[in-house]
Amino acid sequence: MTKWLSLALTFCAVFLAACSDSGDGGSPTTAPAGRTPEATLPVEVERSDGEVLRLDKPPSRVVSLSPAVTEIIYAIGAEDALAAVDRYSDYPAEAAAFEPRLDAFEPNVEAIAGLDPDLVIVESDVDGLVGALDRLGIPTLYISISTDITTLDQVVEQVRLYGHVFGRESDTEALAASMEERIAAVTGALEDVEEGGGPRVFHELDATLYSAAPDSFVGDFYRLLKAQNIAEGADTPYPQLSNEVIVERDPEVIILADEGFGESPDTVKARAGWQNVSAVVNGRIYGIDPNIVSRPGPRVAEALEQLAKLLYPDQFGS
Amino acid sequence: MADAVRHQSAEIAASPVRLGLRGMLPSFALAVGGLMAVALLAVSVGPVDIPPGTVARIILDRVPGLSVEATWPARWDDIVWELRLPRVVLAGLAGATLAYAGATYQGIFRNPLAEPYLLGVSAGAGLGATIVIVSPVAYSFGMLSPVPAAAFAGGLAAVALAYVLSRTAGAPRTTTLILAGVAISSLATSAITFLLVTYTDRTAPVLSWLLGGFNTATWSRVALLAPYAIVCGLVIAPYGRVLNVLQTDDEQAAQLGVPVERVRFALLALASLATAATVSVAGLIGFVGLVVPHAARLAWGPDYRRLVPMSAIGGAAFLILADTLARTALEPREIPVGVITALVGAPFFLALLRIQGRRSHA
Repeated sequence: MTKWLSLALTFCAVFLAACSDSGDGGSPTTAPAGRTPEATLPVEVERSDGEVLRLDKPPSRVVSLSPAVTEIIYAIGAEDALAAVDRYSDYPAEAAAFEPRLDAFEPNVEAIAGLDPDLVIVESDVDGLVGALDRLGIPTLYISISTDITTLDQVVEQVRLYGHVFGRESDTEALAASMEERIAAVTGALEDVEEGGGPRVFHELDATLYSAAPDSFVGDFYRLLKAQNIAEGADTPYPQLSNEVIVERDPEVIILADEGFGESPDTVKARAGWQNVSAVVNGRIYGIDPNIVSRPGPRVAEALEQLAKLLYPDQFGS
Repeated sequence: MADAVRHQSAEIAASPVRLGLRGMLPSFALAVGGLMAVALLAVSVGPVDIPPGTVARIILDRVPGLSVEATWPARWDDIVWELRLPRVVLAGLAGATLAYAGATYQGIFRNPLAEPYLLGVSAGAGLGATIVIVSPVAYSFGMLSPVPAAAFAGGLAAVALAYVLSRTAGAPRTTTLILAGVAISSLATSAITFLLVTYTDRTAPVLSWLLGGFNTATWSRVALLAPYAIVCGLVIAPYGRVLNVLQTDDEQAAQLGVPVERVRFALLALASLATAATVSVAGLIGFVGLVVPHAARLAWGPDYRRLVPMSAIGGAAFLILADTLARTALEPREIPVGVITALVGAPFFLALLRIQGRRSHA
């Protein structure tokens, strides 16, 4: 399932002497703040298309076409290396204000090349983008978020990967370890809960009742929380569920990822035929910021904690 | 061949009205019975296994004067009354409307490829809905959503624009109208595409609206569509004879006392109004408006006095069946019903053409 993870990182055992490279023209004693000298280079990463990307030094003009990776870059303090972000990179606030911004959905290869990047980060190979960048000889790190990052564990791996790519292992390790701890704290507290012994949950992606199946990235949150995902049995990661199936499976908690599209606990309560659904009867309908549950970035631990509180208010009471 | 068709149509047009109507009754009764059977089947099956006998008792329980011992979970009552029944009724109304509107369009344009989306209703409605969904205005697919209203307005605006544009050109009216409709459709479609790629965070809701379907059907949506569907249908149906006359050329039709231009405009407006209402509550469901009138023509002949009502009944049955497949084939998942209508409709259409070809060569 996750080719890149198993093979992702091969490190040369070459430790560069501290500040040995003067090639950047910078003075050795005034290396950019925070750049850790113990960078293990070169870094080789297997991309989602099977190609191997080799980076001989940390990139310094990076185009991030992934809102999730933009979050990681800020979280590990590598934002000085950013040359451009995609237009949906909206977190943290500095990223939202960053210029220039590019369109990851209709990427203009010429605009990307014009920025003369030494690394382009791509999460979805739209329109032959990766091939076009390869032909131009622009180093491109392509990791498909739809096929290769489907669990929270893989998000943490992804964070570590960028620590290596940017040569910021020690800052990154602190972040990755804290994410792991927070995730482990939640799952540890639920150790006594049986597999699937938690509440029945319906995660709503939109008002036409698209949801997240257990084997999707969003579904992994509920798997870790031992909840019974009522989208169980659907054969796609993000299926549209039948209205009557939802009512019959009687979710005890409804999580709305579509509040930005005008849905709310009130609109759900007003839905015809839903008045006897447990979550409606007990008022357990909650909104969540869709970006923190759907983006494989540093905030997934926070998302897991929020969902844990909503699903197990007694155990994780605020 | 075209002459032969016209000749035949002229004969139909000239034949006394009453004969045709009386001959229609048995097949009409048969079709209504068939539709009822389909509707019953659709209500009895679904992704949630409720025994058909229980479904029947759940329905009978609410018939005034009848009381059935309720031995089923309350949820089943909700599923049958609030989810399944409105879904079947809405699919039936939408199918009927698309099909009789398709028959009307084919009659007006004397073109077997005409269908109710020909003049841009679908693209206009899609654009209206898309604009609301990508706009910062809060929208919801719920009851008081501005989306159906915008879709309705957009659909009607597109047809009106096509009509106005066609009047400014001098060529034969219907051809110009079709061309104007095609142009408006392309324009609206490209605007939708532009909005989709501009607001990619809204792509999913726009696409699920465009794909359409009946998963979130409610009685209130039935109430939105029913007046348009029924009133337009009842007004169009008696124009069957006029549609027959229109199959001859305009000159002959005028000689037979039909105010060609006015009738054409009125029927077009009615069919478009009903189609816009359907699209606004059900999204874009293709193939029903094209295939069903042809199937009806093959089964009951080209007489529009039959064709319009029979198309309505056939369209209702067809879309109810397609929607039943949509919610049961891959349960608990839904399949967009438009996928099913095309998947079932296209081969069915080809089979019809083969049969038709064999008949005419026999």
